[in-house]
Amino acid sequence: MSSVVSHALPLEMMSAGEQGLVVEIDGAPELVVRLEEMGLHTGVRVYMVQPGSPCILEINHQRYSMRFDESVTVLVGLVP
Amino acid sequence: MIEKVPSKNLERTVAVIGNPNTGKSTLFTALTGVHSQIGNYPGVTVEKKLGWFEFEGQSIRLVDLPGTYSLSPRTIDEMVSVDVLLGRQPEVGQIDAVVCIVDASNLERNLYVLSQVLDLGLPTVLVLNMWDVAQERGIQINPEELANRLGIPAIPCEAHRRKQIDLIRSEIVKASHAPKSTPLDIFPEAFHEEGRTLQAEFQQFSNQVLPTYLVERLILDVGGQLEIDLTKPNPEQLISRLKEARERLKALQFRVPNIEAKLRYGWSRQILNGVMSVPEKRPAVATDTLDRWLTHRFWGLLAFCLAMFIVFQSISWAAQPLMKFCEFGQKQVGEMIGSLLPFGPFRSLVVDGVIAGVGGILVFLPQICFLFLFIALLEDCGYMARAAFLMDKLMTKVGLSGKSFVPLMSSFACAIPGIMATRTIENRRDRMVTILVAPLMSCSARAPVYWLMVAAFFPSISWAGGWITLHGVMLFVMTFFGAVVAIPIAWLFKKTLFKGETPPFVMELPSYKVPSPRIVLHRVFDRASAFVMRAGTLILATSILIWGASYFPSDHTEEQKVLTEIRQAESTFARELEAKEQLSLLRENHSHPNAPQAEIDERLAELDQRLKPLHDLFDTRNKISEQLLANSFLGRFGKIIEPVVKPLGWDWRIGVGVLASFPAREVIVATLGTIYSLGGDVDENSQGLQSALQSATWPDGRPVYSIPVAISIMVFFALCAQCASTLMVIRRETNHWGWAAFTFAYMTTLAYIGAWVAYVAASWLLAS
Repeated sequence: MSSVVSHALPLEMMSAGEQGLVVEIDGAPELVVRLEEMGLHTGVRVYMVQPGSPCILEINHQRYSMRFDESVTVLVGLVP
Repeated sequence: MIEKVPSKNLERTVAVIGNPNTGKSTLFTALTGVHSQIGNYPGVTVEKKLGWFEFEGQSIRLVDLPGTYSLSPRTIDEMVSVDVLLGRQPEVGQIDAVVCIVDASNLERNLYVLSQVLDLGLPTVLVLNMWDVAQERGIQINPEELANRLGIPAIPCEAHRRKQIDLIRSEIVKASHAPKSTPLDIFPEAFHEEGRTLQAEFQQFSNQVLPTYLVERLILDVGGQLEIDLTKPNPEQLISRLKEARERLKALQFRVPNIEAKLRYGWSRQILNGVMSVPEKRPAVATDTLDRWLTHRFWGLLAFCLAMFIVFQSISWAAQPLMKFCEFGQKQVGEMIGSLLPFGPFRSLVVDGVIAGVGGILVFLPQICFLFLFIALLEDCGYMARAAFLMDKLMTKVGLSGKSFVPLMSSFACAIPGIMATRTIENRRDRMVTILVAPLMSCSARAPVYWLMVAAFFPSISWAGGWITLHGVMLFVMTFFGAVVAIPIAWLFKKTLFKGETPPFVMELPSYKVPSPRIVLHRVFDRASAFVMRAGTLILATSILIWGASYFPSDHTEEQKVLTEIRQAESTFARELEAKEQLSLLRENHSHPNAPQAEIDERLAELDQRLKPLHDLFDTRNKISEQLLANSFLGRFGKIIEPVVKPLGWDWRIGVGVLASFPAREVIVATLGTIYSLGGDVDENSQGLQSALQSATWPDGRPVYSIPVAISIMVFFALCAQCASTLMVIRRETNHWGWAAFTFAYMTTLAYIGAWVAYVAASWLLAS
């Protein structure tokens, strides 16, 4: 990955318009696998369209609505 | 099964698979046209959709599998797809080839499931659908190179414009004759080694000979449906063997389950590298601005409420003339057949039983069609997912997630597809609560009851130049009443029976698109024909039963004598009756400037005077009929139950009607139609059931129906579990009779208390 990854933060803390690379997904295995199959996997670039709970994310031009809780943590490294 | 013979004419079976929202059903319809058939796989409620087409002399049978992000069978639904692909589903048989449809604008993710399909080693055709969307977003794909790297045909396609359909047909035919290919293999040899060991162990401990594919999936899917199903014969041994295999792999840096996504996405990137170029940022499209408004915390919710309001206003506005027309038709048919048949039980059965009963419910067909039209439009244009997003916040308040919203919204059309749609909810507790409250959503079968009561007992007042009507407002309120009641009920269930955390919520927001008329109309037709079928079977049978119970055992000779006299009098006074009809019309329209009201009224009074002998005959008939009905089986039974329904403001006829409508709630309309047609609360002005209800009286002459009674009936119907089919589906989906019984008990109790409170409150409010 070409972009320089700054410090990692939980995905739900991203602000509108920010982009990041998924560094780590942690949590209950079934939930993690579901997220990965839907397209949220380590190394993918995410773009925060509308923060909040639930938030709207864009991954590979596809939008998703997501709400996380303690059972899953998605860490992203912000990229410019 | 029959051995494959390489003859051109033998039918070949091809499975269609792909992610949700890739236009799979559109492609399926484009390929097969009208030649399709929908059913269920035995034992499960997964929809089995089959279609046929013939191309270049080869007939192909297509099997449409439910949209899925992955082939790992974690739920029963996904298990069916895998069984079909492995040829383990006897209803379908051996699969000759697979069509994998992907969203060209989101290839990286879509290739995940393709990689799993290629693991099967079946000849595969890749359809790159939504090619136009990809182009719009500036995504460049080289399909020839992609086909080359994958070793399978890859065809760009716009299924909704029916582009490239013949090319796809031809590739399907070719693939269906191709030999099995070598499975794609992206896993290390150590993994396959563990698979073989486990395969042998399964044979040893449970005597099962499993296909390699299933054993390998078993290792990869932690806590999935396969683990539950396959380890059943000897859980202790098999589960510990499985865990050991996973541990050994973990030591080799092959961490289940995360490794699968890593390897598959790695493969997907490798395939696409140099084949596809994607601009960093998605170019702003027109619908993005719209989406910003529609998903806005405040404006989005407002737009949602407004959309719902418009839907219900326009249903009452647009369907009204059509319904009038249907009622007119029903009356004409009744009169025509009535005049052909001699008086007697048979005529009564046809006119009072079948036409008044079944016809009474069929007049609501226009509304049903409109309702399903709107729901199908909202679903197909992509708005439903936004509504689910908006509702997630509210749903978490009662302990559910936005995922429960779509099933609940579909339950507004019918609870049966709604309850079936709960399978997309992975969390069991959430799913159970959603199933239990889904029948509270106002389904289309409740609508006729509301329409009838509202039209008959609420004044037609309108505001804002006729755009907002009291009838529309009342229908809107009644339609959402059940949903409002469902909020505390769901909260209660979640706090008591199904305690647990609200699970995370992830849902795709598909791009907006112009709804496909074909798909929308198809859905409307499906539901409308189901409605007519029910009217023709269950409701017809109940109508005849109710007719029989209310006709027998009394002696009808005296009534027939009076009816004959009425018929004679009607022909004697034919001119007066016609004049009266015309004058009444004039009075209703008030539009004729040359005919002052006073003069019309005077002439009407004069006509009535002359028609007095006829009126007297009608009065006699009504008295006789009422007596006959009260003495019939139904009447006697009704009197027994009257004390139970009296607190709700109902008379015994309503009580009987409600009891008869427990198998299917819309039966009430048919039952009331039959009861009032036989009971004789009709005169020469009678315009069908509405006016019959308006003129019904208690023995002391007070009208039976008032606004509080109408409200009490509507509240009862809003909350009661009067649908045998829904209870059957609950049993099937929860795998237990207990839950169906529980739903029935809690809803019926709720309905009785609700109707009583509504009656008392409305009477008090209107009196003060």
